[in-house]
Amino acid sequence: MGEVQKGLFSVIEKLKGTTEQELRIVLLGLDNAGKTTLLKQLASEDVNTITPTQGFNIKSVTCDGMKLNVWDIGGQRKIRPFWKKYLENTDLLIYVIDSADKKRFEETGLELSELIDEENLKGVPLLIFANKQDLATASPASEIAEGLNLHTYRDREWQIQACSAVSGEGVQDGMNWISNNIVNKKK
Amino acid sequence: MAALGVEMNVAQDDGETNTAVKVPESVLRRDQARLEEAERRRDVKQSQTVTEEKSDFFTSTFNAEKTQLEEMISSCNDREKAAKTLEEATVKFQQLQKFLNDSVRFLTQYEIRQAQESLQKLQSSITDKREEILPKKKFAFRSRNTSKQQQPTPIQQQTADKPAPGSVGTVVVDAADQCGFSNVDNQVLVRQAEEIQQRDVLLSHLTHCKVRLYGCPSTLHIKNIRSCEIMCGPVSSSVFVDQCTDSTLVFPCQQLRTHNTTATRVYLHVTSRAIIEDCQGVSFAPFTWTYPGILDHFKVAGLSPDRNNWTEVDDFNWLAAGTPSPNWTVIPESERICSWDFVGTAAEQS
Repeated sequence: MGEVQKGLFSVIEKLKGTTEQELRIVLLGLDNAGKTTLLKQLASEDVNTITPTQGFNIKSVTCDGMKLNVWDIGGQRKIRPFWKKYLENTDLLIYVIDSADKKRFEETGLELSELIDEENLKGVPLLIFANKQDLATASPASEIAEGLNLHTYRDREWQIQACSAVSGEGVQDGMNWISNNIVNKKK
Repeated sequence: MAALGVEMNVAQDDGETNTAVKVPESVLRRDQARLEEAERRRDVKQSQTVTEEKSDFFTSTFNAEKTQLEEMISSCNDREKAAKTLEEATVKFQQLQKFLNDSVRFLTQYEIRQAQESLQKLQSSITDKREEILPKKKFAFRSRNTSKQQQPTPIQQQTADKPAPGSVGTVVVDAADQCGFSNVDNQVLVRQAEEIQQRDVLLSHLTHCKVRLYGCPSTLHIKNIRSCEIMCGPVSSSVFVDQCTDSTLVFPCQQLRTHNTTATRVYLHVTSRAIIEDCQGVSFAPFTWTYPGILDHFKVAGLSPDRNNWTEVDDFNWLAAGTPSPNWTVIPESERICSWDFVGTAAEQS
């Protein structure tokens, strides 16, 4: 928790130079992928009280005029059609995958490819968290990247990061990628 | 007066004559118009009839093919024949897809949507079955290897035959990482704490089984289950239930997610919330099972024994606030099971 907190604040400090900078980040993925756990980890909140998301959760971290607005939208099948309504003016898409749920790799890949085709997300950088790496049955990030055909996404910056949202491991690395590769371009 | 009378008679005669002359023409015209209209109506009806015939034809053909495919997929359990059957199923599926595409012109939007949903489900079934039966085969074997592969088959069959129905036995899932049971009928299945040890547990394609998991999994997946009784120790994160019918599920967990499930009772201890989606006839009651060492397992799993939100169930198919979802109920106290069968008791704690 402390480490992640440091990570998040160090990301914010790196953004200090920009005046009135605001990033809109949308967090998507299938149900049970760990989106809300990741969000709470970023906000340094208790991850033991997480409930399946109905609608959405939003966390806004403010520091020296810098805002990170992270929108976590529910991943149940019935509410996926609403994802599109949250995509306007998005600066970064974070897509969370349950690395242990092999049976739904195809489903999550389809959902991701449909998102990538959205007009509102043209050219928007993509960060994929291969979550639940703490489980023995989790597939490595490289295998997931291959399965998703990430190399075909040539129209945008993308990165896949292995992580365990529940333990916080790997989350900071993903956020560092955002700071180093995305924010610099916005300056 | 007489002269007037005579004149009137003459006029009448003239009128009659005129009428007689006019009637045939107007009648003929009307007849023609009527005939033309009748022809138009017939044409319209014929075209509609053709459309209806095609629509009915599509529906019956599509459903017949779909049923065949479903039977192929569900009957596909022999690993030896599985690859071939799945290949045939895939070809059949593609043909069905093409059939739908060709028929889109004259189908209604509703029919198209229904057919697409059916195709999606079929594709999922094929994928699930392939992953289940042929989990790690990425390359086709050559004919030489095929002959070698065939030899071990009889041994496997003997192994499968050994456990008698109803006897206490343990069937091991092939994958080394995985912990759980798959493709078992009418058995008692037990896992002890040291076998589970915070691992990811998968239960899939079980029928008429009693499952006892005397330990705390990190996560638990329950898929394609029919007429089973599944009891598990505390699960650290979420339990994921999909395609479960006519069963009883008993476990503590942090979250519960239930999909495509019917006629199932859940004796639940959940520290956050339960959700259901595409479910009917699901009923809930508080967790009532116990075994030696379960309190320690609550601690290992990080769950609070004092916090149970079993009545807080969200139905994602039911968005009306204030009106309870008809898809889930609370099991009346008089109908709740409080003492459970003792089967394959938990190993004594050291």
